[in-house]
Amino acid sequence: MERGPGQIGVRRSGTRGPTGRLVHAVGMVVGLVAGGLAATHSGRCQSMVDTIAQVQAKMVKIYGAGGLRGLEPFQSGFLISPDGHVLTVFSHVLDTDEIAVVLADGRRFVAQLVGADPRLEAAVLKIDGSGLPAFELDEAVDVPAGTRVLAFSNLFGVATGNEPVSVQHGVISVQTRLEARRGVFETTYRGPVYVLDAVTNNPGAAGGAVVTYGGQLVGMLGKELRNARNNTWLNYALPGRALAPSVKALLAGQPTAQAAPEEPAKPPRSLTLDDLGLLLVPNVVPRTPPYVDHVRPGSPAALAGLEPDDLIVLLNDRLIQTCTQLLEELEFVDYEDPVSLTVLRGHQLLEFTLQKRR
Amino acid sequence: MRRSSFGMLVSFGLMAGCGWGSGALGAESLEWLEQEAFRRAVERIAPSVVRIETIGGMERVEGLLFGTGPTTGLVVGADGYIASAAFNFLNRPSSILVQLPDGTRRPAELVATDHSRMLVLLKIDPPEPLAVPEFTPPDEIQVGAWAIAVGRAFEIGQPNVAVGILSAVNRIWGKALQTDTAVSPNNYGGPLIDIHGRVLGLLVPLSPQADNEVAGVEWYDSGIGFAIPGFELQRIVERLKGGKDLHPGLAGFHFGRENIYIAPPVVVGVRPNSPAYKAGLEPGDRIVRVDDRSVARAAEVKEAVSRRYAGQTLSLVIERGEQRRECQIELAARLEPYEHPFLGILPVRSRPKPGQPQQSEAGVAVRYVWPDSPAAKAGMNAGDRIVGLGGGAVKDAASLRESVNQRSPGDQVEVRLRRGDRQLQVAVTLGRLPEEPPGGPLPPAWPAGGDRQQREAEPAAGGATDFQSLKIPEFENDAWLYAPPQAGPPVSYGLVVWLPQPGPVDRRQLLQQWRLHCRRDHLLLLVVQSASTDRWLPREAELVRRLLDQVTATHAVDPTRVVLGGCGAGGSLAFLTAVRNRDVVRAVVLVDSPMAGVAPENEPPYRLAFYVAKTKKTAVLDRVDAAVARLRRMKYPVCVRILGQAPRELNVEEMAELARWIDSLDRI
Repeated sequence: MERGPGQIGVRRSGTRGPTGRLVHAVGMVVGLVAGGLAATHSGRCQSMVDTIAQVQAKMVKIYGAGGLRGLEPFQSGFLISPDGHVLTVFSHVLDTDEIAVVLADGRRFVAQLVGADPRLEAAVLKIDGSGLPAFELDEAVDVPAGTRVLAFSNLFGVATGNEPVSVQHGVISVQTRLEARRGVFETTYRGPVYVLDAVTNNPGAAGGAVVTYGGQLVGMLGKELRNARNNTWLNYALPGRALAPSVKALLAGQPTAQAAPEEPAKPPRSLTLDDLGLLLVPNVVPRTPPYVDHVRPGSPAALAGLEPDDLIVLLNDRLIQTCTQLLEELEFVDYEDPVSLTVLRGHQLLEFTLQKRR
Repeated sequence: MRRSSFGMLVSFGLMAGCGWGSGALGAESLEWLEQEAFRRAVERIAPSVVRIETIGGMERVEGLLFGTGPTTGLVVGADGYIASAAFNFLNRPSSILVQLPDGTRRPAELVATDHSRMLVLLKIDPPEPLAVPEFTPPDEIQVGAWAIAVGRAFEIGQPNVAVGILSAVNRIWGKALQTDTAVSPNNYGGPLIDIHGRVLGLLVPLSPQADNEVAGVEWYDSGIGFAIPGFELQRIVERLKGGKDLHPGLAGFHFGRENIYIAPPVVVGVRPNSPAYKAGLEPGDRIVRVDDRSVARAAEVKEAVSRRYAGQTLSLVIERGEQRRECQIELAARLEPYEHPFLGILPVRSRPKPGQPQQSEAGVAVRYVWPDSPAAKAGMNAGDRIVGLGGGAVKDAASLRESVNQRSPGDQVEVRLRRGDRQLQVAVTLGRLPEEPPGGPLPPAWPAGGDRQQREAEPAAGGATDFQSLKIPEFENDAWLYAPPQAGPPVSYGLVVWLPQPGPVDRRQLLQQWRLHCRRDHLLLLVVQSASTDRWLPREAELVRRLLDQVTATHAVDPTRVVLGGCGAGGSLAFLTAVRNRDVVRAVVLVDSPMAGVAPENEPPYRLAFYVAKTKKTAVLDRVDAAVARLRRMKYPVCVRILGQAPRELNVEEMAELARWIDSLDRI
């Protein structure tokens, strides 16, 4: 294998060496310091240096279970109350009686797990303390794409002992929702996220804080996640506002609100292609395009006007890329419900509504 | 966008409360002003950034699982032309949909692909004229300026944004801009814009070293991203509208193996029937100008060729001896496969003399003349000494091989000989390299020496202790080298690297097969064992290369007789290693092995011969046959042997013939 930058981004293998990302991160920290210095002599106005100093005091390093099979035994977190409540991700690291929390100044605590919301993959820890600098989760801000942000985390466990965690900079790339459908993202969280343009989500970074240049909390760095749709690692944060209600419940000792699962349930009896009178081309390769092979005369498909050689591209406005996917999506449609199919016929997109006869 | 703007106001309203608003000192407001400028730039380009969806297509491309997620395109014509990265379509989808920022979907047709800059042009029938972006004028493209990458891979209503700076211009042989902005499948095909929202370039994965289709994607988010400059994109789009693919332009000449950044642009080889050949370029020509620019390094010429397309012309000024002349080369999309010509002789080998230059007599003594070969037909005999070819003097076997390689089969060439005291000149019509080994035993390869008797005196039996163990630090594999005992004057050795089936290796048995041939033909035998018990891994090709280098460093290895071979999966890895290391490997022996990977085009300096032994009843037979046919179409000589119905080892006669084939690899 050739050497050089090719190594940096190599992540095909599924395991990744820390080197590339680390270099990236260090570069960013250096860049930041330079940028921050320009703003130091600003009197009462808050500079980036001040922001960093203030945020660092709220950040913690968490050590717990792991260390085997590539699972790192550390992660990041931040204080959300002066009494020592810490917000972090719910992960294997917390799966021990000895969770250690280390503050930016090196003070070390044994933490109790107050509670966790498995759906959000968020957990609240408690350490003995008072008057600690902390974020106010209720004051987390909602920011648009393009907003410059700082990410604080103990990525790769670089910070040890009384060192503050690492700082990276970037912008909010986009606000999106983790897709609710099968297998795109391997997480139980289904909801809004901020995607970042910096390589923030590294081993040990989960639980870190994303803040504006003014120091306001934007969100919490999530666990490492691959985007199965284009085989890239996703750099993202869970918005503070999405975390707040659940955390409030945990702090009050109440069960977390189990919001209705966003994953739609399958109906007792699903619609089938046969119900519609459609036969597709043989599904012989992994990504067979869903071409109509045959339309049964008198069937809903025939009545609606579908024809052989039509390529089905949308089902109820969801993109259909393969025969397999079409069959999967149909399982979510009740056999009595009308279904909208958009097909490509020649150079035209045509939409049809099919209704199974009663 | 409306909601976003509102969010922006809210967040900055809050910031202002903490001292970050526009009322703060200049140092702070700069950050804010920049952020505001990013937002405006993105807002300006957003209507021209579309989302692309594909249907069907292959699951894997060059071994990589290919994503199905939406990708990005950029409007380049109000009437429905959209440019994107070729990467997004490498899976050859059966249909393409373009989704406009307002959510409207339109079917798209792929008009044409630029295989040099890895772009595609799509055409849709838009409901209304599309928003064509503004392009940054070339003289306003500045390294260090803000560069914003824009995609539409996540949300149809909201582009995804990444911010960085322009890192360099004229990258990848002058074809691309470089940026430290996060560039990935999330924005390939989208624009890289400047702070004013003008298009600097179109984001594509590229790699300066490799030029396979997926090259560069492994660099995503690394701080090294590439974009084809916008002003070039506009020109390319006009060409692609014609519906014809653009291909990199090939000239058909090559430089020596020295570092092209240092070496002067002196042509070493010209491919017969190539555009350069037709334009009259000759080996030895020194290129002094390309178009209107004078050039001093081979790399400058490579850049000039690399940025051109097939069909375009390369205007050279060359120096040939005292003369200067002009040379117009019309570049082609592909070159006719090169075929190595054949004179029909084996040279008497010269002895290596470490530490001092070759002092031997000029010319090449003929060891053997192939029956019915061009040399035989011209009346050449063993014992003749070739001293000149086609007007030039012949220094040694390597220089004779090189000057023959600059010709084509069918060419007529004058050969000057010394036979005893006589000088003669014969006309030879060059043939093609034979696939079959010489029929009978070959005369000694070396000038008369005293080694033969001593060799006979050596004990015939042997065991595993004859092997020397070799190890490459990063690899777990075991490897053993057998070097026949040296007796008499020094010789150079052929090298056979044998990769058996995965699993434990019976070295004693292998040595029994090879020992006699190693001793008689002066061959080193290197046996490598797979790290895993059930498979060879592609990365072990690197191990084989490292072992080759190690043996070459410690032994006098004849570069014309370096052979990789193996059985089953071992042979597959031998093939893969050989095609990746053409600079050192000259032959591949495969016993019931499918070929992993694709052989590169045949080229004059990299002679490669294949010996394929196959069994009729194997699952891989069809693949072996297809690969043999492909190699022959590419004009590689392939010697095929059928072992029978059931898989077995090579027998004694077959081993003897294989050894003869290896001993004849330095044929000219």
